[in-house]
Amino acid sequence: MPGGLFLAIDPWINWNWLSTHIPHILDALTEHVELTAVAIAVGIAISLPLGILAQRNALLRLAVLGFFGAFYTIPSLALFALLIPFTHLTATTAVIPLIGYNVLILVRNIVVGLDGVPRDVLDAADGMGYRSTARLFRVELPLALPAMFAGLRVATVSTIGIVTITALIGMGGLGSLIDEGQIEDFHTPVVVGAVLTVCFALVADLGIAAVQRIAVPWARPA
Amino acid sequence: MSIKRSTFSLVAVLGVLAMVAAACGGTSGNGNTSKEKITVGGFKFPESSILAQLYGQALAHAGYQVSYKLNIGTREVVAPALKNGDIDLYPGYAATDLEYWNNKAGEATGDAAATVAKLNGHIDSQGLVALTPSAAADQNAFAVTKATQQKYNLTKLSDLAPIGNQLVLGAGPECPTRPFCQPGLEQTYGIHFKAFKPLDTDGPATRAAFKNNTIQVGLVFSSDADLNSLGLVVLDDDKHLQAADQVVPILRKAVANDEVKSILNKVSAGLTTSDLVALNAKVSLDHQDPDAVAKAYLEQHNYFS
Amino acid sequence: MSFFGDVWRWFADGAHWQGPNGVPTRIVEHLHVSAESLAVAALIALPVGILLGHYGRFGGLAINISNAGRALPSFGILVVAFQAFGLGDLPVILALTALAIPPMVTNSYVALREVDPDIREAARGMGYRELAQVLRVELPLAVPLIMAGVRTSAVQVVATATLAAVIAGGGLGRYIIDGIATQEYVMTAAGAILVALLALATDISLAGVQRLLVPRGIRLLNAPASTRAATFKVA
Repeated sequence: MPGGLFLAIDPWINWNWLSTHIPHILDALTEHVELTAVAIAVGIAISLPLGILAQRNALLRLAVLGFFGAFYTIPSLALFALLIPFTHLTATTAVIPLIGYNVLILVRNIVVGLDGVPRDVLDAADGMGYRSTARLFRVELPLALPAMFAGLRVATVSTIGIVTITALIGMGGLGSLIDEGQIEDFHTPVVVGAVLTVCFALVADLGIAAVQRIAVPWARPA
Repeated sequence: MSIKRSTFSLVAVLGVLAMVAAACGGTSGNGNTSKEKITVGGFKFPESSILAQLYGQALAHAGYQVSYKLNIGTREVVAPALKNGDIDLYPGYAATDLEYWNNKAGEATGDAAATVAKLNGHIDSQGLVALTPSAAADQNAFAVTKATQQKYNLTKLSDLAPIGNQLVLGAGPECPTRPFCQPGLEQTYGIHFKAFKPLDTDGPATRAAFKNNTIQVGLVFSSDADLNSLGLVVLDDDKHLQAADQVVPILRKAVANDEVKSILNKVSAGLTTSDLVALNAKVSLDHQDPDAVAKAYLEQHNYFS
Repeated sequence: MSFFGDVWRWFADGAHWQGPNGVPTRIVEHLHVSAESLAVAALIALPVGILLGHYGRFGGLAINISNAGRALPSFGILVVAFQAFGLGDLPVILALTALAIPPMVTNSYVALREVDPDIREAARGMGYRELAQVLRVELPLAVPLIMAGVRTSAVQVVATATLAAVIAGGGLGRYIIDGIATQEYVMTAAGAILVALLALATDISLAGVQRLLVPRGIRLLNAPASTRAATFKVA
């Protein structure tokens, strides 16, 4: 390491830098939260109707899961790179792939969740006079909630991790701390960026699990 | 609601809106109470952030609303950002910028003033202007480790010509297309390297590559503070491949009023190469922030008095 | 659109297929680093997951560590590895191995746990001892889910290997990172297409390997299980 030949050993965490840069770190964290929130919100908005429709229609299911499944396999940096000529170095470029990844996970889980509603429950609902829409919103979706929440947790943790990569196309977020540390050959911002990303992911994961406990009291999260 | 009351409400709302509009229009229309917004951009290396902060803070002190877009990237990214107004100003380097804006026509010389004059000739039609160059310069420089220097007995770049095919050159990915970089070494010095390794523009990857001998020759900046401590030796540019790379602010004419120009020129005038080296040292070695370092410099030189 | 025409021409240009920055060289670099990392990770992760799953011990801990591991940002790990170990393949492989381990541990653990207890008992009753039981009874049943884990890790490794270019590594990421640096977006797009194709090819070919490894009887029984991979995306 370049620090080798001269003076100070560069510690992995320089507490002085840390204590004097809290606002800067919080800025990065805020940007990260914003990007994640937008990606998840739009992902949910797209996935709910799409997932419900795909579960009912075998052809649509194949098309949606096939298309978004292939999309999911493509590395995020490659997708950012393909979008740059069209949407330039903006938040849009960052968010579109993130939404695409989320849609796969959420749709897949919605489909699995709805598939998992027992046949006899559906029959009972029909027998009680529920019409199609009412049955969907009052019987099927609530029973599919555990699977949907599981998908939300996976999607959120994945998104939080990938948002760090958006620093490479000039977006902020905790990845910009990592990038900064790389440019300046400085350990502390890198460690702070990585650790905060993990913390944010864990907090989000546990938070969603907690919401699940409240919203779906009959099914404990895994 | 009765017609009278609803009409009255409508008039009241319109009246309030009109007052608000007048108030807002008043503050933004009046040049004396608030100055224009200026966005300062910078390249993706610490020295550029320092320079951007120096210029930006001087402007902010004079009342301009300055915002920063630092570490954007290489000139290939920063220059278009200036052209399309994403940024209003960036701290350029006379010769390298001339060769970018003139599409590598090869016009730059060692004369900073002449180089900048030619630069203005090219960018004027694009609504841009380059100001007076500073005395401070940061040239591309090519360095080797002490071990390599001793092995081949090197003092200047010409010494590399006979042994080029045994050596690997390392620099940022833009080097193979920059006239002062690999192509320049080939044409001016006749050095054909065994290979080129894309690293970063004078960053940690370049230094690490020196350290484990992945590269023997690397691009560094002449104003780097840590060359000595890393055991790197800069080879003399005996055939003067590098032209005048004095620091020069390049800005959009739309923001370049007389006051802005005089503020920026004042900062440029007081800056020397050894100042740059000292500022770089504080950021690269002591891990201080570019904005703090710039502020200290400006205060020390009484720009804020 | 002329942009796509430019990209097509980039691929058609013979110069881009030769030399140290040529497509074949970069693909080989990319695959080399990915394969090594996956192999090392599998050597560590699979035995651990299989053993834990067989004995049913520390499962919660294993799964939680795995989940935490997946939250680690791949970009961060690469930079940390570079700052700790310098330039070269070693830091890249270390980082990629670290990222490849969690999915394989989780999937192997779950796969072994899901083996029907009745089958386990039957095997024991037939006289199988520990190792034989694992190798001859439980593993074949667990292969679908284990392979799903390997497949997930493989695609993730190939994806993250793209980022190695940020720490001056080689591979297909070079086209993307260098293209962004010099605003040569045609090269960036070409690199992106190559990476996408490589990732898809990895996924499909491992799906093929998965088919081959699963005993036919199990495959017929267990068709949906192979899609039940816990897929976190990390890069």
